[in-house]
Amino acid sequence: MLGKGLKRKLEQEEENDVMSCPQDASPTCYWLQRQTVLNLSLLKLHSRPGHSDPGLARRVLITNTLRHIQDELRGEGGPIPQPFPSTGAPLGVVDGCRERPADCGVEVQSEGSLTPVSRLEEDRHLLLCLSPSISRQQPPSSSVIKDSFTSALAEIEDLCPTVGITTLFTTEMGRSLTSDPNSRQTHPDLSEMNSGLDSVSSLSDSALSVFGHTPSLLTDFSLDDFLFTEIDSLLFDNVPCGSSLSASSGASKVVSMVTDDLVKTLTGYGNGGTSQSALPSNQTFKLDLNELDHIMEVLVGS
Amino acid sequence: MDGDGEGQSRWCLSQVKGAVDDDVAEADIISAVEFNHSGELLATGDRGGRIVIFQQEQESKSLPQCRAEYNVYSTFQSHEPEFDYLKSLEIEEKINKIRWLPQKNAAHFLLSTNDKTIKLWKISERDKRPEGYNLKEEDGRFRHPSSLTTLRVPVFQPMDLMVEASPRRVYANAHTYHINSISVNSDNETYLSADDLRINLWHLDFTDRSFNIVDIKPVNMEELTEVITASEFHPLQCNTFVYGSSKGSVRLCDMRASALCDQHSKLFEEPEDPSTRSFFSEIISSISDVKFSHSGRYMMTRDYLTLKIWDLHMESRPVETYQVHGYLRSKLCSLYENDCIFDKFECCWRSDDSEVMTGSYNNFFRMFNRDAQQDVTLEASWENGSPGCPLKPWRVCTGSRRKRNEIGVDCLDFSRKILYTSWHPQDNVVALATVNNLYIFQEKPN
Repeated sequence: MLGKGLKRKLEQEEENDVMSCPQDASPTCYWLQRQTVLNLSLLKLHSRPGHSDPGLARRVLITNTLRHIQDELRGEGGPIPQPFPSTGAPLGVVDGCRERPADCGVEVQSEGSLTPVSRLEEDRHLLLCLSPSISRQQPPSSSVIKDSFTSALAEIEDLCPTVGITTLFTTEMGRSLTSDPNSRQTHPDLSEMNSGLDSVSSLSDSALSVFGHTPSLLTDFSLDDFLFTEIDSLLFDNVPCGSSLSASSGASKVVSMVTDDLVKTLTGYGNGGTSQSALPSNQTFKLDLNELDHIMEVLVGS
Repeated sequence: MDGDGEGQSRWCLSQVKGAVDDDVAEADIISAVEFNHSGELLATGDRGGRIVIFQQEQESKSLPQCRAEYNVYSTFQSHEPEFDYLKSLEIEEKINKIRWLPQKNAAHFLLSTNDKTIKLWKISERDKRPEGYNLKEEDGRFRHPSSLTTLRVPVFQPMDLMVEASPRRVYANAHTYHINSISVNSDNETYLSADDLRINLWHLDFTDRSFNIVDIKPVNMEELTEVITASEFHPLQCNTFVYGSSKGSVRLCDMRASALCDQHSKLFEEPEDPSTRSFFSEIISSISDVKFSHSGRYMMTRDYLTLKIWDLHMESRPVETYQVHGYLRSKLCSLYENDCIFDKFECCWRSDDSEVMTGSYNNFFRMFNRDAQQDVTLEASWENGSPGCPLKPWRVCTGSRRKRNEIGVDCLDFSRKILYTSWHPQDNVVALATVNNLYIFQEKPN
């Protein structure tokens, strides 16, 4: 980036091609820059400066930039010849970008590749703290998960039957529930602007689907994420189910109240007559999908 | 304008105010600079809500060499931080704008505003005090009635000059959004205040009412795409004002047309050049400042990369466009990331409207001579050169540095920016603010 007296050498120039690429250069370059701007904009909109009111002018400008990108993506529509797992050369670009997440911000996951552990750690930290600087992964994955929850549940059962479904469930619900109270605390117009953010999440959703991601593929990846992190916290905490859930699902009291209710509802289904201790990691936990659907509907308020 | 062949400009550093160490407290960051109508007083506001007024030395006025000698005249706390309990938000005490009223008597009046509240301050001098009271001793103790044997008339005795600042009016609770501009009308009775979505008209004497004259808030806030960024009254016509928007357009409104000036009388907008279109086109077109010329015939707008001079009779395009720092066009993505792209630069006219000036990064400021069609880049720095020494112009190049006083684009320091500038209303003296220092430059008389 730019700073005091930093001189760029010739060999570093290609790193910065992403930033300085003219618009009429290769479509990959343009796509990369657009993705960068998209991610930056989402990051800026989600980060809250804290106690003082963020400027309306700034938010409007960022939102307009996002809308412009959204319109472009909509205009392109349909199946896009994008650099994706199937093509050769762009894959190199994608992989290169993944190694520099700060610069590139490309969230592409090629088929069959696993998330580096460092990324999992990063996501867990963000997830547990509900910190304002969300990872770029969060907006797309949350909306995708909301959209394809039932299919995801079926996949969860197949993927990892030993981990408690409740923890995943409450974490997800916690996150989607806390987003509302947070926005209401700020400027009322900000909350009105935030409802526009839902369209932005769907923008990233549509952006990802445009880029050829099948929702289930991304869901697999993201759910693995959460499942792995929940295993960690369960193994280390070893406390009764309710308190570990409220610790892991964030600081908001609203969340913990909801999760407590959920836990009572769901453990009644799963554990049957067993004790109220921590979900043993080696116990199979099967839920009635219909019951979950019903609860899901009630909570989401569809 | 560029000076002689040895690379000297006609400008030299006169004074630097403020601490010169690297440790800058947030509260000391200057956020407003404004000369008064005579140029005798120079006011600065900072993020801590304080106002410091400098006064030109009386003796030096007669000596052309030492014309610009300003010393502290008064310091006072204008605004305090507040807390909006309803929205759980802090209201910053940072001074956004200072505007002087034309002087009518011995006292000076100025308007200062933060995000929510405007205040009218009276700055007056006291250099005499009454002495010889009958009922009180000199130290204020009351005299015993039985000790009174004679009567005397109190007389004024000279005392050390004391400058008092007192708030005369507080204009509060009229703005939901952040105030970005205030402008005193030429009728000297009213002024306007503009926030992101509304402009209000006030009478200076009344604090309990203001009239909304522009309202661009949409019914559904999700449809909001444009905000007001700057506004100013015409210097001569008391019914005319302009406001700039975040989309790069300026609207001129006539208050005689209707009470609510949502319909503009003129719309100044330049069609976008499709060859320079980028993701950031809208952001860099956002108007950060709008200033009428002293003549009232022209208007200047500042957006992120350019200065544009408009003839009020022609709405289709500006009559002059000046590139302030066009070399940043290829860096917009990085500037978006570090938020510099949202910096709001001010601009100002010379007294005879022949030159305009604005700030840039790396503590550079740019001066454009409209008549000679020349421009110069100068640096506000107390390290290089001593007061009285003419400044050497700078050049920003895209390649590697070649000569002295050339700097590469990648070496610019984006944390050192000059956002606030003011030109003396009569003399060729300019005042500008770096992060926490006030610089006063003076043009060498030929």
